Amino acid sequence: MAYANNQLHVIYGDGTLGLGGDDFHYIFSYERGGLESLVTQGKEWLYRTPTPVFWRATTDNDRGSGFSTKSAQWYAADMFSTCEKISVTVDDKTFDQLPVAPFNNQFSDEEYADVVEIAYTYATNTVPSTPVEIRYTVKASGQIKVTVHFDGNAELQDLPAFGIRFIMPTAATGFDYTGLSGETYPDRLAGATVGTFHVDGLPVTKYLVPQECGMHMNTSALTVTREKTLNNADHITQPFELNFNKADSDFAFSCLPYTPEELESATHIEELPLKRRTVLTIYGAVRGVGGIDSWGTDVEEQYHLPAKNDYDFSFTIDLDK
Amino acid sequence: MQADIKWIDDPETFRINQLPAHSDHYFYKNTDEIDQDSSFVKSLNGPWKFGYSKTPQDRPVNFFQPDFDSRNFDTIKVPSHIELAGYAQIQYINTWYPWEGKIYRRPPYTLNSDKLTPGIFSEAEDNSVGSYLKTFTLPESFKHQRIIVQFQGVEEALYVWLNGHFIGYAEDSFTPSEFDLTPYIQDGENILAARVYKRCTASYLEDQDMFRFSGIFRGVNLIALPDTHIEDLDIRPVVSDDFQSGVLNVSAKTSGKYDKNSTLKLSVTDSDGKTIVEQEQPSAEELSFEPMDFSSINLWSPDSPYLYNLLIKVYGPTKELLEVVPYQFGFRKVELRDDKVIYVNNQRLVINGVNRHEWNAKTGRAITVDDMKSDIKTMLDNNINADRTCHYPDQIPWYYLCDQNGIYLMAENNLESHGTWQKSGAIEPSFNVPGDNPHWLEVVLDRARTNYEMFKNHPSVIFWSLGNESFAGSDIAAMNKFYKEHDDSRLTHYEGVVHTPELKDQISDVESRMYEKPDNIEEYLQNDPKKPFIDCEYMHDMGNSLGGMNSYHQLVEKYPMYQGGFIWDFIDQALLVHDPISDQDVLRYGGDFDERHSDYEFSGDGLMFADRTEKPAMQEVKYYYGLRK
Repeated sequence: MAYANNQLHVIYGDGTLGLGGDDFHYIFSYERGGLESLVTQGKEWLYRTPTPVFWRATTDNDRGSGFSTKSAQWYAADMFSTCEKISVTVDDKTFDQLPVAPFNNQFSDEEYADVVEIAYTYATNTVPSTPVEIRYTVKASGQIKVTVHFDGNAELQDLPAFGIRFIMPTAATGFDYTGLSGETYPDRLAGATVGTFHVDGLPVTKYLVPQECGMHMNTSALTVTREKTLNNADHITQPFELNFNKADSDFAFSCLPYTPEELESATHIEELPLKRRTVLTIYGAVRGVGGIDSWGTDVEEQYHLPAKNDYDFSFTIDLDK
Repeated sequence: MQADIKWIDDPETFRINQLPAHSDHYFYKNTDEIDQDSSFVKSLNGPWKFGYSKTPQDRPVNFFQPDFDSRNFDTIKVPSHIELAGYAQIQYINTWYPWEGKIYRRPPYTLNSDKLTPGIFSEAEDNSVGSYLKTFTLPESFKHQRIIVQFQGVEEALYVWLNGHFIGYAEDSFTPSEFDLTPYIQDGENILAARVYKRCTASYLEDQDMFRFSGIFRGVNLIALPDTHIEDLDIRPVVSDDFQSGVLNVSAKTSGKYDKNSTLKLSVTDSDGKTIVEQEQPSAEELSFEPMDFSSINLWSPDSPYLYNLLIKVYGPTKELLEVVPYQFGFRKVELRDDKVIYVNNQRLVINGVNRHEWNAKTGRAITVDDMKSDIKTMLDNNINADRTCHYPDQIPWYYLCDQNGIYLMAENNLESHGTWQKSGAIEPSFNVPGDNPHWLEVVLDRARTNYEMFKNHPSVIFWSLGNESFAGSDIAAMNKFYKEHDDSRLTHYEGVVHTPELKDQISDVESRMYEKPDNIEEYLQNDPKKPFIDCEYMHDMGNSLGGMNSYHQLVEKYPMYQGGFIWDFIDQALLVHDPISDQDVLRYGGDFDERHSDYEFSGDGLMFADRTEKPAMQEVKYYYGLRK
């Protein structure tokens, strides 16, 4: 289907907002509280809607210093925070109410726009709760800019991390990124070299007890490559890619087959589930890992993430590199 | 003399008939053998007959008699740990003693007792016993020679018999124990018997944070001594104040037919093989060569581990060659100057160090020379320039490898007794040993002596460490005094004196702390400190826990008296076992063997995983350690 004037095709669904273009189609769900589908070149990239991330798996040093216990609310928030508010803006028009049925009866299948913005506001499952917004700005080219904001609240404990998690339906065959070599953290990036690196598969660093691993700080570009889909009618096994690029500043990410909660529950690496999905987390803020010891001393002050601060980050999802 | 099981209950009985400790030199029949197997040495490694007993009461009492029927014995590999061969339970525990929560036990002569505790180990339920038998044929070339047996490492109490005769007793698990077999050796077949008790009073001194094992875990050698043999070699290369020239002093002790008709010919060649000096001395029980002046020397350092080749040839009365002793030595000068900074070769010392346990995920502490070479390569690849041999002497080849590859050594004694005074982190030394206890003095002095005598010729050793996490008292002070009386070319180290500041004038040349925060180190350094500072353990790299190294690097840059430290530690201690559920070979740690009390994954704190692959944090270590090579 050709699109008029290279604009986004806007589908005002009854429970979703669809956005289409050449070789891409996105579905933003009102029910699921997030981006439900991200299809490029006929391949689905999402297994579940992206959610805000507050937890990274406990390191031995977190355990020893009691950090995870003190900040345990963020574990719940990571798993169980809810979407409270959705706002939709098409070109210059921000809807007063969500354009769902019957409000959407006024539209047709011939709706087009240059830019569409949809913002999801989540309430953290903490006491007190604080709002977090994930805003998707979609251009006619198919580029999605993702802007994430955390509203600081001084009554809350330090955060382990702040980011957004994309769970992809199948395990990636690898990823390429431009940033720092090896596994890096805010307090452990001096030894890294800057460059473009390829990583095969989804390696989980084999710490004796599974824990936070695979972080890549100061990243400007990331390409995730998969070969398999869950689509029963898709018989093509050519590699296909999705690109993430810096917007306002570099980001951190980890690309693993597991969520932090899965890592958290295993006492040995062989207890982890079979690797069947890709868990890509893009971080705007990461707590350090290093202590002086692993049984009482906290990470140095400058590598903490105080909850009183606002945290903001952004990046783009691009069809081409 | 007959063996007595009560020795394992007595801290004052720790070596019976054991030959004195001596330098770790190798000796050969001729120069062609150098770098190969010496024809004076026959390895007894391999399969031994083995009887396992759960308690001392169950042991086969007369198993060492030649007519003992050993058909019911199993076979075990020497060297190996009894636990990893499937007999006794594997246990990992840190500070508490392994019997915590199972047996109430206090060290003899403590809590105001002036008595032994009869049966404390000899009648204990937790003291398994290994009874080892090795039948060997005396090699033709060994006939009519003096024959000794060398056990390089046995945990923990060792009794030895040959052909039914009691030979000797030893405790110190991590140093060689040698016994003279000559009176009882026979041509043809001989039966060597070794009894190993898992625990004895030395258990109180060997409370290292590690998997607790027992058995003959290092090699065993049968050694023939030539008619005149260099028992001990003392090589003292002294660097002059100009750091250009030096003097070499060499002295030796000999045994055998050391009549005046034996001759020792010494030569020194440089690394190109060019002869620098030659000398000759008639043999004597104790002898010294003339001091040798070197007008121009190459210094030994991590950047350039230059070694000279010393060779002593021993000739008999008819000028026949009896033995050759090679030793590579290096000139280097370690000084603690008036500015309270340590210098090596006129340069401020910066330790980019690690603590290294001997470890292999498949064989535990029974490691090979290939494991050691691999560890050296990892250190060199990552700018690690120093190793603290925590917390016991390592196998002899390690010290040679460190000489050859330029790794500084803090050569630590086999001593750790934190379970006697460290209680859930609190200091509670009510039954502390060795402390000030006179009954525990000689045994720790013996450990100091052995460590010194064995490794005194290694240029890589720049510190003697008195042990780890034993509460400092007069016994540790006596160890320090021993080193000071015997060696002016190295410094002493002891962290434990931090708890007894009143002893700081008597113990340790350095202020050493573990896991001290950079701020506190800075505070120490800014307040006119008496001693330079070393982190004997820092960064504790348990799992993914290494970060913030820059704060330590800043101290290196800012304070000359901050002299670096040793990261804890080099390699994760974990064991590779087969998991029937996943059908994979997997790594197991404390508590994975149903053993309680345990400290679980606490020993997974290496810069390398237990399979010798590097952790991601190594790139950070390599970077910071590379800034001040």
